[in-house]
Amino acid sequence: MSRFPEAGVLAALFMGAALGFASAQDAALGEAVFAKCKACHAVGPDAKNKVGPHLNGIVGRPAGSAEGYKYSTAMATKGAEGLVWDEATLAPYLADPKGMVKGTKMAFAGIKKPEEVSNLVAYLATFAPDGSKTSADAGAAAPSEKKAEASSQTPAGPQAPVQPAPAAARGEGLKFGLGRLAGEDEIAAWDIDVRPDGKGLPVGRGTVATGMGIYDENCASCHGDFGEAVDRWPVLAGGQGTLQADRPQKTIGSYWPYLSTVYDYVRRAMPFGNARSLSNDDIYALTAYILYLNDVVDDEEFELSNDNLASIRLPNEANFIEDDRSSEPHSRPGQEPCMKDCKPGKAEITMHAAVLDVTPEDSENDEAPAAGIE
Amino acid sequence: MTNSARPGAASRRAFLKGGLAAGAALAAGSAAAGEQVITEVQDWNRYSGEGVDARPYGTPSQFEAHVVRKNVPWLTSDVVSSINFTPLHELEGIITPSGLCFERHHAGIAEIDPKDHRLMINGMVEKPLVFTMADIKRFPRENKVYFLECAANSGMEWRGAQLNGCQFTHGMLHCVMYTGVRLKTLLEEAGVRPEGKWLLAEGADASSMTRSIPLDKALDDCMVAFGMNGEALRPEQGYPLRLVVPGFEGNMWIKWLRRLEIGDQPWQQREETSKYTDLLPSGKARRFTFAMDVKSVITNPSPQAPITHGRGPLVVAGLAWSGNGTIKRVDVSIDGGRNWQTARIDGPSLPKALHRFYYEFDWDGSELFLQSRAIDSDGIVQPTKDDLRAARGSNSIYHNNGIQTWHVNKDGVIENVEIS
Repeated sequence: MSRFPEAGVLAALFMGAALGFASAQDAALGEAVFAKCKACHAVGPDAKNKVGPHLNGIVGRPAGSAEGYKYSTAMATKGAEGLVWDEATLAPYLADPKGMVKGTKMAFAGIKKPEEVSNLVAYLATFAPDGSKTSADAGAAAPSEKKAEASSQTPAGPQAPVQPAPAAARGEGLKFGLGRLAGEDEIAAWDIDVRPDGKGLPVGRGTVATGMGIYDENCASCHGDFGEAVDRWPVLAGGQGTLQADRPQKTIGSYWPYLSTVYDYVRRAMPFGNARSLSNDDIYALTAYILYLNDVVDDEEFELSNDNLASIRLPNEANFIEDDRSSEPHSRPGQEPCMKDCKPGKAEITMHAAVLDVTPEDSENDEAPAAGIE
Repeated sequence: MTNSARPGAASRRAFLKGGLAAGAALAAGSAAAGEQVITEVQDWNRYSGEGVDARPYGTPSQFEAHVVRKNVPWLTSDVVSSINFTPLHELEGIITPSGLCFERHHAGIAEIDPKDHRLMINGMVEKPLVFTMADIKRFPRENKVYFLECAANSGMEWRGAQLNGCQFTHGMLHCVMYTGVRLKTLLEEAGVRPEGKWLLAEGADASSMTRSIPLDKALDDCMVAFGMNGEALRPEQGYPLRLVVPGFEGNMWIKWLRRLEIGDQPWQQREETSKYTDLLPSGKARRFTFAMDVKSVITNPSPQAPITHGRGPLVVAGLAWSGNGTIKRVDVSIDGGRNWQTARIDGPSLPKALHRFYYEFDWDGSELFLQSRAIDSDGIVQPTKDDLRAARGSNSIYHNNGIQTWHVNKDGVIENVEIS
């Protein structure tokens, strides 16, 4: 429990700050809210347009006016109509972006809590158009400095407020001192993940021809001689051009966006039942052979290594899009569903489960349907 | 709360009528020979039973032996990388018993002595740290009830009705109380660097399961849990430690959790590229479709739980849930969506947890087309399967939250159907 009195001190400091610098307090909390925005928006001296426009000087900025950013037609129109971002206009937009600017590119559901919205706007208001901090922020720095000092002070007495510390105040600076530093060899043993940009690739190399032998010995019993798969094990090759077909075949060549995923996955999980048994060079060779099975390379002497893996593109990379389920017609919030006489006529059965005869209890003669779970 | 299923006056009349009928039956019964279970002394009423130590860890009654998880063999190649299903039609309330929570493993159940388990935090942190289980239990804890639904739940139904039973159509679902530490607390102990935007969670099993999770979610309501339903996690649920990612697809709730890495972009792991991406008719595929949409299903009656009592009072029971928050309302239709009545939600209404609903009415013995439709706290209405197919085609596999139809025939036999 010894930690919590300190949290009480922090709470007291934060509340004191709140009394004196209401807007500064809001801005400090708003910084935490901004975590929701950071993936797409930047602020500060080095801020650039990312997925969304930079937000320096956004409070007071006309809509659709960040230089060099390609806005949706909807947002550009709003700007042309004279919309200027301030507390009054940002609040409804941040609460429901598509509700206020239908057609905005901002794929964000909105911030539901009004206090989070106002804190966020207060935080954004602390950035001048050039990314420097405005004078309004002077008070905001103070409590966080005091917070750092606070953790070394003696625990608070009975005058400490009983209110729980705000989430932001419980955070950094209050460490429990549990656990121990991870050793470099320990991190190296477990951290084997590889990203599309090549981060994490170990040094190594292997050719298509070498990979063929490793594949035949370790992989073909499930994945088939040519990646066509045995039974319901995953198909690795083929299927190009089938993604819009009635029965798409999703293979590494037809579907997977990144080659790094093949290397990463084989290294952590394959061969099935004997994971982590192949060398880094073996996996480069196998990955090269899988490229060959998918006609991405056609030379048996082709060598894959940590130098060239990240430069190889799989054909379907461009066909992945972010989650836009919220744009589907049925996903609009607040639709009042029909309660009476919603459809004409009596319901007629158009399909029985029994027709497919795939219920587990009586599936002796079952025929596996295509829509398995993979 | 929701409106009552039927007006008070009507139910009083029904009660009076029912009382008269029961009285008549009683009078007739007293003249005939009584039921032997009453008139004769039964074994359990005469002989002593087993003592207190016969079942040191209690198990369900022998008469409940049919209440088990079930596999669908043709779905996957090997039981070691497969799935089984929660028997939703046999359960009450909102909490799933630990032993009935569906299982999905990618390389079987890892059996790990907690003394040998470690959790590492590395990547873009101030201090890469290693925790033992004993370390983790010294952080402040919380207890939270959350549902977990596999993104592929109902995935076999995209092309139409396939499986006869809510266990198989909706049973990649459970809801338990977790005990553990807020993930934010652990990450702050290591100190996330400002450039950190994503978290990679990794399991210790032989698939080294990995998923990328946005950092704002990780710092919001995620937990590192060691307890479920008041006891340690079950081995098949990730003993001794699993990640809890409330409202997000079950695949992200990494079991046997051993490592958390902070990075500035997602890792594009196999389970977030080749799997758990939703193929659309255009050939494009959505990725990072994390949240589980609002959904409901009638669990009783249903194909595995037909109506055996004939006409008269019938309890329709079901479950509703949403990854967005709580369930605001559930409507039930008995005529295939022509007309709807608001059902009664009973028991706790907790965010990102199962909700139990009931709709009681007098069945007249005629054919029924039972449906349920949930509305969540964000005001999103559960769509029809046709709505979903119109937007996504039939090859998405994941995130099928469409309205389910059960056909009840005059004998009370029930079938999974699609209707006009």
